[in-house]
Order: sequence, then C-alpha cells, then structure tokens
Amino acid sequence: MTIVLLLLLQLNVPDAAQFVGSPKGAPLAGEALFARTNEVGQLLRCPVCQGMSVADSPAEMAVNMKAQVRELLARGYTEEQILEYFEKSYGEFVLLRPKSRVLWMLPLAALILGAAVVFMKLRKLEQPPPTANRQPPTDDPYLTRVRDLVSGGKQ
Amino acid sequence: MNRSVLVIGLIIGAVLVTILFSGLGRDPAAIRSPLIGKPAPAFALREVGTNRTVDIAQFKGKPVVLNFWATWCMPCWEEHPVLVANANMLQPNVQFLGVVFQDKEDKILGFLNQRGSSYPTVVDDAGKTAIAYGVGGVPETYFLDANGVIRAKYAGPMSPDILRENLQKAMRQ
Amino acid sequence: MTAPLGRILILASLFAAAAGAFVGFYAGRTRSAVALRLARGFAYAYAAAIAAATLVMVYALLAHDFSVSYVAQVGSRQIPTWVTVVSLWSSLEGSILFWGLVLGVYIAISTFLTRRRYEEYQPDAIGVWLACAAFFSFLIAGPANPFHTVPNPPLDGPGPNALLQNHVLMAIHPPFLYLGYVGMTIPFGFACAALIKGRLGHNVLKPLRVSLMLPWIFQTVAIMLGGWWAYEVLGWGGYWAWDPVENASLLPWLTATAALHSIMVVERRGILKGWTITLIQATFLLTILGTFMTRSGVFNSVHSFTQSAIGPTILVFLAAALLFTVALLAFRIDKLEVEGRIEGAASREALFLVNNLIFVLLTFTVLIGTVFPLIVEAVKGKQMSVGRPYFDSMSVPLGALLLFVLGVGPALPWGRANAAQVKKALLPPLIGALVFVAAGFAFGARTPWTLLTLAFGGYAAQVTLGQMFMPMRQRMKSGDSLGAAFVDGQLRRGRRRFGSYIVHAAVVIVVIAIAISSSMRQQIELHFTKGQTQKAAGYDVTFVGVEERTEPHRISTIGVFNVAKNGKQIARLEPRMNHYQSMREPIGSPDVHSTLLRDVYISLSNVDAANETASITVFIAPFIVWIWLAVIAMALGALFALIPQRRAVILSEAKDPLPTRAEPETV
Repeated sequence: MTIVLLLLLQLNVPDAAQFVGSPKGAPLAGEALFARTNEVGQLLRCPVCQGMSVADSPAEMAVNMKAQVRELLARGYTEEQILEYFEKSYGEFVLLRPKSRVLWMLPLAALILGAAVVFMKLRKLEQPPPTANRQPPTDDPYLTRVRDLVSGGKQ
Repeated sequence: MNRSVLVIGLIIGAVLVTILFSGLGRDPAAIRSPLIGKPAPAFALREVGTNRTVDIAQFKGKPVVLNFWATWCMPCWEEHPVLVANANMLQPNVQFLGVVFQDKEDKILGFLNQRGSSYPTVVDDAGKTAIAYGVGGVPETYFLDANGVIRAKYAGPMSPDILRENLQKAMRQ
Repeated sequence: MTAPLGRILILASLFAAAAGAFVGFYAGRTRSAVALRLARGFAYAYAAAIAAATLVMVYALLAHDFSVSYVAQVGSRQIPTWVTVVSLWSSLEGSILFWGLVLGVYIAISTFLTRRRYEEYQPDAIGVWLACAAFFSFLIAGPANPFHTVPNPPLDGPGPNALLQNHVLMAIHPPFLYLGYVGMTIPFGFACAALIKGRLGHNVLKPLRVSLMLPWIFQTVAIMLGGWWAYEVLGWGGYWAWDPVENASLLPWLTATAALHSIMVVERRGILKGWTITLIQATFLLTILGTFMTRSGVFNSVHSFTQSAIGPTILVFLAAALLFTVALLAFRIDKLEVEGRIEGAASREALFLVNNLIFVLLTFTVLIGTVFPLIVEAVKGKQMSVGRPYFDSMSVPLGALLLFVLGVGPALPWGRANAAQVKKALLPPLIGALVFVAAGFAFGARTPWTLLTLAFGGYAAQVTLGQMFMPMRQRMKSGDSLGAAFVDGQLRRGRRRFGSYIVHAAVVIVVIAIAISSSMRQQIELHFTKGQTQKAAGYDVTFVGVEERTEPHRISTIGVFNVAKNGKQIARLEPRMNHYQSMREPIGSPDVHSTLLRDVYISLSNVDAANETASITVFIAPFIVWIWLAVIAMALGALFALIPQRRAVILSEAKDPLPTRAEPETV
C-alpha cells in the first residue's frame, strides 16, 4: 500500500542514504537486530531528556530515533554510519561516546603520572625520617619549661 | 613555602573556576543545530487530509518558516495562533509550512479545523524528516532563506517577537 | 509576621557566624581562653538562630502561611502532610536553609564534643566552620531568601515539583545527602586548624577521623538511596547514569574514602600527613563544587535547579575557599612532621598509597568527564556530550583494580615482610578466587569482566574474612571459648577493626552484585493485547488490562500485568505512564518485583486505553537487591566501628591475661 502511495504521490522522505551513502554492513534481523538496536541506541543521546540515551528514554523523539536506528540496522548500515547520520543532523551533542581523543587519553596520562608520583613517594618514604625521635616544636612556654626540666637543660 | 604545591594548586583552581564561570549564563539545554548555514534537507510529504504532495523545493525563491509540531504537545497549542496570524499577514512573500509526525490523521484534522489553518500542513509518518532536520522535540521551527538554506532554528513555542527576530535572519540573505 | 521573624533569625545567624569566625581566629592567635569561650558561644548561637529560623519555616509550611514567599512557592493545601514537610528541601531556597540547619547542628555538636581535650585546635576549627556558616547564612539572607513577604498572599499554592511526590525515598534521600555533604565542613575545619598550627599530632587525629567517618556514612547511604530511587522511579532499568549531579555527589565520596584510608597510615607511621590533609580539603571543596553544579544551572541534569544569582555567589565562595586552601597548604604543609617511614614496597602501607592513587584517578576521570563539555564549548564553541559509554569504560577497570587492592592490601602485613611471609599471605586466598569464579560460572556468568571481578572478589572475600576474625581466633588459641572470644575480641574490643572489615566485605558484595546484575541482565520488549500471555526469560507475563487513575496533579494510565513462573503467580505489576500537567512528556513509572535472587522489572513504553494494547520492556536482573542491602551493611559496619571504646574497658583489661601474640587494635 505504501509503495502504491509512494508511486502515486511521488513522496520524497529524507533518508540516511542522502547523508552517509549506501549500507556498508550486513542486514540484521531477529535477536541480533534487537540486541544491536539497544547497543547503538545506548550511544545516541536523547535531545530533550537530560542525558539519557535513546535506548532508555521514553520520550517520543527518542522512540522515533530508536526506530530509525532499528530500520537502518535492518538495512545493513554499520554503527559508524548510523552515528555519522545522526551527528550530521543533530550535531556532536547527540553522541554519548565522545570523539575527542584528548579526553580518552587524559585518564591514561593521569595514571602514568600518578604511578610515577607514587613510585617516587614510596622511594622517598623508605628513607628514615629526617629527625627521628625529635620532639615536635612548641611555642608554649610551660611545655618548654617542662622539657627543660625533664632533659636537665640539655636541649 | 612549598612552591610546587602553590603552583599546582593555583593552576588547578584557576582553570576550574574559569571553566565553571564560562558556563554561567549559558543554557545547557539549548542545542545549536549543525544545519545552520547548510541547505535544508529535501523532502516531499503528503498534505494532511488530502492526496496532494507538498515539496519544500517548490518554495524556493522566498523565505520559509518550517514548523514541526504535534497535537499531543501543549506548547504547540499555544503557538499555533501566532503562526496562523503571522502566516495570514506575511504570505505569499513568506511561506509557512507545518510538519506533524508521530500523530494520528484524524486528530490533526480535528485540531486544524478547530484552531484554523492558513498554510499547508504535511505528515511525516515515520518521523524521518524530523530526524534529518535534527528535531529534538516539538515544537521546533526552522527558518529558511530564499535559497533553501537554513538560517535559524528555534526550539520552543513561537512568540511574535521570536518569529520576527528569526525571520529577519532568514530574510537578510 | 512570620516572614520578618524568619528574616531576623537568619540575620542573627549571619551575625553570630561572622562574629564567631573572627573571634575564633583571634582566639587561635592569642590563645585567650576568654576568646575561645566567646567563640564557642557564637557557635552555639549560630546553631540556635538557624534552627529557630528553620522551625519558623516548618511552622509556616504546616500552617499554610502563604505570606512567606517560599511557602507561596512550594506550599499547597492539597498535598499530604509528609509532602509539606519534605517541601522544606524540595526547592532551591528551602534547600539552602536546610543546609544551614544541618551545618548548625554539626557545628554545635562538634564544638561541644571537642570542648575539653582539643583546645589547641578548636579556635581555628571554629573559625573555619563559622566562616563557612556565615557564607551560607549570607546566601539565605540575600540571593536565596525564602523569607520574602508576599504582599497579597494567595489562598493556595502550587505544591512542590510533582516528580518529588512520587516515592517515599524522596523524603529520605535529601536529608541523608545533606548530612553527608554538609558534614564534611567539620573535618575541613580540623584539617585547616592542623595546618595553621603546623602540627598533625595524635591528639587531633581522633576528631579528624571521627568527623570524617560519620558524614562518609551518610554520603554512602545517600548515594545508594539516589540510585535506588532512580531505579524504582525512572523506568530505564538502571540506577546510575553518570548524570552531572550524580557525579557531583560521587566526587567528594571518592576523596573522603581515600582520606579514611590514608589517615590510617598517619596513625600507624606518622607519614602522609600533608597528603591526608589535602584529601580532606579536596573533599570539602568538592562538596562546594557539587552544590554549585546542582544549583547554578550550568549543567544539563535531571536534578538541576534553574539558574539564578546563586550560581555566581557560590562560585565566588568556591574560588575564595580554593585560594585559602591552596595558600594554607603551600605555606604550612612542610611544617607537618614526617615521623616514620615505609619499610618496603610489599607492605600494607605501600598498598594504601596504591589505594589512594586509584581513588584519585577515579575522582579525576569523573571530574574531567563532567566538565569537558564546558571546556570544549568555551574553547571551540561547539557542543558535545560525555555520557555513560565514557564513564563506564573508565570506571570498570579502575573499580576492578580497587577490588584487587582490597584483597591484596589487608593480606599484607604492616611493615617489612620477607618473601616467605608475602607468599604465605598472598597465595592461600587464590582458593577463594577460584571458588567464586566457579560459583559465578555455574550461575551463568560468562563475561570476562564479570569473571575477573568474581576472581578479585573471591580473593578479597577470603582475605577479609580471615582478617575480620583474627582477634577472635587468637583468643581462642589462648584458651577462650568461641563465645567469649567473639564477644571479647570482636564486640568489646577491636570494634574499629571488626566494623571496618564488615565494610570491606560489604563492598565486595556490592561490586560483585553490580557486575553480575549488569552483565547477566535480560531485556525483552513485548507488545500485548488484552488478556494475552507471553514468555519472557522463563516467566509468563499476562496483560490483564488498562486502568486509569486521576489524581489532582496527574493522570495515570496503568497497565496491569500478572507475572507467573511454572504456573505459580509471582507478582502483579502495575507500571504506569504519568501525565503531569506541568510536563511536556509523560513520565513512565515502572513496577518491580524484587527478591534476593532477582528482580522482575516492567517498564511501560506505550499504552493505549482505547484499544487495550500495551508495549512494555521487561528487565530480569539478578542480585540487584544485594546492592542496596550491602550498602546498608557498609553503613552499619562503619557505625559499629565508630562506637567509642570506653576507658573503663581498657583499664579493666589490664587485669586480664594478655594474649600470647600482640593483637592489632586498629586496622
């Protein structure tokens, strides 16, 4: 029926093909399709909710986007292509997995830096303390006097 | 005085405070469209209640106000009279076009009959046009210039001032 | 009359706090006993004033006095009484008043409890506490004033946000949160006092540790309650979304946990003093950052309040606090004496350093992920998102590493250990690792990360159980009966040790429960017509029908489902779609049937009352309940560890025969 209508009405519905070309992967169906829809849906951000993914959100637009993801996967589009399509119309905002390589490298850099600091600190702490058994300084006159008396004025 | 503590601490503190300060005054929910300045995605959809097709390309030569809405959306009810009135005023120099998706035919017709309509409304059944335009929710309105390039996008119900302000951006070209 | 009264009390609290801060610091410099007593008086006065102001507000809410601006904002005659009480903290201005109240109570109690033995540190600590209190009173008096007088009071009000009336957890989650976060001001005060004095001696370690531990307990429970609430109410089947405000609550918890561990190294070896103090300062600063993130409107979050003048004000305070803290650290940290040393890399002390490293890395990663979109927008002008995929990828390996250290750390002895001792300590728990992996495998776990978590968890479980009952076993070796050994070794003495290992054991359960419930979760989408039964992961789900329920603030469309297994009815679940008048989108509310073994969770995605059809998503997840229960066990274990040792008990022990081997009192 839709085909007849399409033919009769010469409808032109925008499609991913205009944005990312033809599908580069194998079409999916059944369990695999359901699982992949969820996985890819987890990577797309619902534009109206605060931070929820398209897979989790009950908002109309999110449901719409998830259906579109399912259709594209069924046609054989790859995850990369689908993400690119949504990025072209919604912007990088819609990608929940950030593309920035800096962001992914920063924790690794922090780990290396931190490990180095811990290593150096361990080495430093393995030395005996600078003044072992020295009493902590005080500006309390009574305590000073007591110490003087106790140590026989040797301090 | 421990210089490294001072330097590291001040750097971290200054960077953090500057970043947070830069965020003040900005609305984090206002998403900018990447399509601004780019040609509007082509589409030809069926006009509600008829068998006619409306192709957006047929409006080239004049600015277009493209409004995505649905009958189940409260703010859309509020903005509808603004759009109808402005369309009456500005057409045929400016073309108004409404796109409804995720909705039922009879509800749309009922809505339009009740609240009036002065410009074509088309149905985007599978919501694919909305996705191509990066519509996050309804209502959202796009402003195209005479060459079919998107010049502005507004998310939220239209008011006469917002309409005028965004239309000016489209008419400047 | 009510509003001006509240206003006056707030101004009084501001005066008391500001004056008390000055007098406190003055007392710290001059060591004047009179000044210290005056500072204490101001501390109590601040607490009294802010408590009185809160009472006035609660009275105004309960009496529906709409001449008070905050009551006009959130009060309503239609809502039940418990919601009226809860509305005290439901909206921005009231929540800051609540912050002031909690701070006042903490300051009063801390001042009272440390009045006798900590006179050296108390003046500066009071100075710091009251300075923070003054800021919050200033906020309440100025930008966040809930006590404006409404000239023509309306007859009724709109009530608090509809979402907040959904679930009883909404009533207890915020108070726990505040008791956790506001409480971090107290150890911050002690830490600053220690820096100012240039000394972190044993006499200040106890208040520092206790004042850090108690808010930590509240924080831990609060975070869990937030997750539990999200799970029960939001409908996506999960409990943690790495939302900016969720992250804001996690950051201070991470640094506080690190501080709780490094403070033990300070106690045992007299090292890492400056580092521990830095962690405590960071915890406080992160709570202020957290409150900024929640209230400034800068971050896109479910929890956000709208932007107002409060954001910039808090940012200024954060900047000032940062500057003060960094300057104090820079000028005074070198004064802190290094009293001991680390004997070797294969020692418990060294593993504490690794523990701290992991916690700091986690803090850094979560912080950078949360603010990165802001940085990019400021620098490049483009908008991007950092969501669950990023945070999960980072936190899962770090969490696994943490679990590893939780096993290996307590296994190693304090101080120097030779190769033979290390082997004796580290090899036997491998049995525990194998047992857990085998059990998990038998249960159905197959994902590599889950099996690795089980291995680390099993190792840690054996180590923890061994360490936990060591005092009891030693007493039994020297002749005590099981009962006496248990009561003496675990309950009367060694509470701190026993409680702490209970916390560790609970952590193992939490991490394993999270790993298994996520990796073995099943998600099935089904479409029903009325009366239809379908299978979902071994359960039979029947769609009974649709009900519509109208309430004053919302209309609910409920899908009624029967869940059965092997012919026996297990639950009747009623997930719903709530249409609130104030919201654009309907909010789905799931229904869950929880057992110790697994949760059956139904979320309604679509329901049509006219055609009597429904689309649902069914989640079957094992061991979810263990997450909540184990966190409560963490809190109870930590509380048990806090129960003070009575001096009489220690004295009487001098008469008992000592056990043959030295028994570690602390962890």
